[in-house]
Amino acid sequence: MIAAILRAQWLSTRLGAGRGAWFGIVTAVLWYGIWTAVAVGAAFFLRAADGPAAAAAVPVGLLAVFFYWQVVPVFSASMGAGLDLRKLMVYPLPHGDLFVIELLLRLSNGAEMLMVLSGGAVGLFLNRTYGGLLALPRIVLPLVLFAFLNVLLASGLRSLLERLLTRRRVREMAALFLALLWGLPRLFMRQSFLSKSFSESSPLQQVGFPWTEAAQTALSGFWMPMLWLALWSLGALAFARRQFERTLRYDAVAMQATPVTLRTSAWSAWVDRFYRVPGLFLPDPLAAVTEKELRSLVRTPRFRLVFIMGFTFGLMVWFPSMIGHRGLQSSPSDYFLPTVCVYALTLLGQVTYWNCLGFDRGAAALYFVAPQPIRQTLVGKNVAALIFVYLEVLILTVITAFLRVLPGWTAIVETLAVVGICSLYMMALGNLSSVNYPRALVAERATVGARGAARFQGLIFLFYPVTLLPVFLAYLARYAFNSQIAFVLVLGLATMIGGVLYGIAMESAVSTAGRRREAILAELSRT
Amino acid sequence: MSSSAISVRQLKKFYGSKAAVDGVDLDVPRGSFFGFLGPNGAGKSTTIRMLTGLIPADSGSIEILGYHLPQDELEIKRRIGLVPDESLLFDRLTGAEFLEFVGRMYGLDRATAISRAGKLLDLFEVQAGRKLIAEYSKGMRKRVAMAASLIHHPELFLMDEPFEGVDAVGARLMKDILLDQVARGATIFLTSHVLEVVERLCDRAAIIHNGRIVICGTLAELRSTGESLEDAFVRVVGAERQGELLDWL
Repeated sequence: MIAAILRAQWLSTRLGAGRGAWFGIVTAVLWYGIWTAVAVGAAFFLRAADGPAAAAAVPVGLLAVFFYWQVVPVFSASMGAGLDLRKLMVYPLPHGDLFVIELLLRLSNGAEMLMVLSGGAVGLFLNRTYGGLLALPRIVLPLVLFAFLNVLLASGLRSLLERLLTRRRVREMAALFLALLWGLPRLFMRQSFLSKSFSESSPLQQVGFPWTEAAQTALSGFWMPMLWLALWSLGALAFARRQFERTLRYDAVAMQATPVTLRTSAWSAWVDRFYRVPGLFLPDPLAAVTEKELRSLVRTPRFRLVFIMGFTFGLMVWFPSMIGHRGLQSSPSDYFLPTVCVYALTLLGQVTYWNCLGFDRGAAALYFVAPQPIRQTLVGKNVAALIFVYLEVLILTVITAFLRVLPGWTAIVETLAVVGICSLYMMALGNLSSVNYPRALVAERATVGARGAARFQGLIFLFYPVTLLPVFLAYLARYAFNSQIAFVLVLGLATMIGGVLYGIAMESAVSTAGRRREAILAELSRT
Repeated sequence: MSSSAISVRQLKKFYGSKAAVDGVDLDVPRGSFFGFLGPNGAGKSTTIRMLTGLIPADSGSIEILGYHLPQDELEIKRRIGLVPDESLLFDRLTGAEFLEFVGRMYGLDRATAISRAGKLLDLFEVQAGRKLIAEYSKGMRKRVAMAASLIHHPELFLMDEPFEGVDAVGARLMKDILLDQVARGATIFLTSHVLEVVERLCDRAAIIHNGRIVICGTLAELRSTGESLEDAFVRVVGAERQGELLDWL
């Protein structure tokens, strides 16, 4: 039975035919090629390492493996990827079997780490001080147990997170916390955190964490660390099993249900006024589309997460570069606000203008059956995206002012102009990509693995530099001529070219939408 | 003014080498309640999607309410109400917000759209408050979809399986509203797998099989030999079985 389920899982994830399949194969070869190189590197390093070097490196390496193994499945849970084992509950399968399948899936999520651990084990085996045939059980056993512990813990954490992510508000906070985790290493590196924490005198090295216990056993063969590691594994087993059972019995729909209240609260009345602002300035149907877009996006968990990340993750990424530079004549703080705002603009792209019909899914057909040109829809969606972009700018301006890294009003004006011009170029290309590479997006998921997505991601990597080039040239002109006038002139020229480009791209997108409506709707209706 | 609400000649649509719709000729008189029947994959939904302009026909002509597709596409869209098989609902709006949005997309001013949205929700007994459409049951979604098709007071309704997934109370409510629309002069063109629905509501029907119309006329004409509509349907689509069963079943 387990074999049948795993086969079904493999069949459902196998690559289709065509260019998408080739892209997938190339990506997989590259990805696993890199990890093979890391594993080989680990083997060579540990083979040659002397006693102190190995004693310092092995726990750090195992911590890195631990971090990767826990974070990657957690991220895949936040993206909603993977097999939903609850669907199998209708079949006469014992829960124990389902748990085994869950563990096998987590093992497959950490295949890269198995390669790295294997590389490390080979290196230690060949090491003159620690290796040899007799040392084989001492090296292999703790590493196998360490891998087992990681699989169990990853399973438990993922199950726990899956439930958390279905709860209103908790979902965004949990996902944001995870996103910020990615930014932490950069901050730690800056503060020399790792080097201090993993010196032999560090208290972290003395605590019986799984990675230190596994390292001590593999290097010295003491039975006490091995016992601790076994205890950690038993704890992880109990945790994983309990979380798995709770997830199997969890009713996500009930947790997400909105209570039926016919009375409108004062807060929702205020929010409704915000949604109706476009109607004060724009005619219908443009206002109707913009309002609809504002309402829908605000209620879309994935959008909310990206929006919050726009003004938190960006700061996390770019703020370390500010440390120690304040007060200099030409410091990074001059470019800080435009940089984090453009970064927020690029983040918002995936959930707004690059694939603007994505969240509408099959309902996008309404834009084609309603007696309004599709141009109105695209413009309305661009206006809504622009409103959110400038909301990001507003929030970031307030935060940078609070952090005292805002040079002055000119920086705000400059940011408004730069973000506007970048938006013009990005939305011009976004309208084209929205009708040429539409993909159905699931509101609760972070990304979607629809066909064509890989090619689309590749195109975005090409698009971003192109869309940022005009603004980059303006900054280059200011730097080269040391002149604010040169900067403004280039920005003005970029605006004019951007306007023309937007018009041409819109005509092309409208024409493509009319011609490809069947394919667009088919792609957006995919589940 | 043309006497037909829908007039289709030699309509064809191919997917690869397979003809989903293969030379359909059809006349739907104004003011009629027209049932469009056929087994799964016969071409019903494809035909409706071509009538709404969602997909282009490979050949043939379509005239709706005296206007030609695709030349008069916008004029036709203003006059039709659509309830498709797949949801046209935006999941992240409430029912009231969605109806207001659709009203404004069909050219109603905001105040009128809001007013009609409220009345339609009352009529269809959808009282979900601030609940998003994503949380609606299938029956509620169908009710909202039908309410949306009515908001601009169309002359012609194109409905693909409008009662699918709707409970008996909801179906009765929707049928009464549709019959009332026909009594007021509207034309309804609907597909359904439930022959009983067609027998109760429709005055005319056509059966499509393998992309071709195999029979078309009044219900009395379809049942001319005294058989039930179900018998007539099974006979014309050639699906009568000889009673073979699996020996282990």
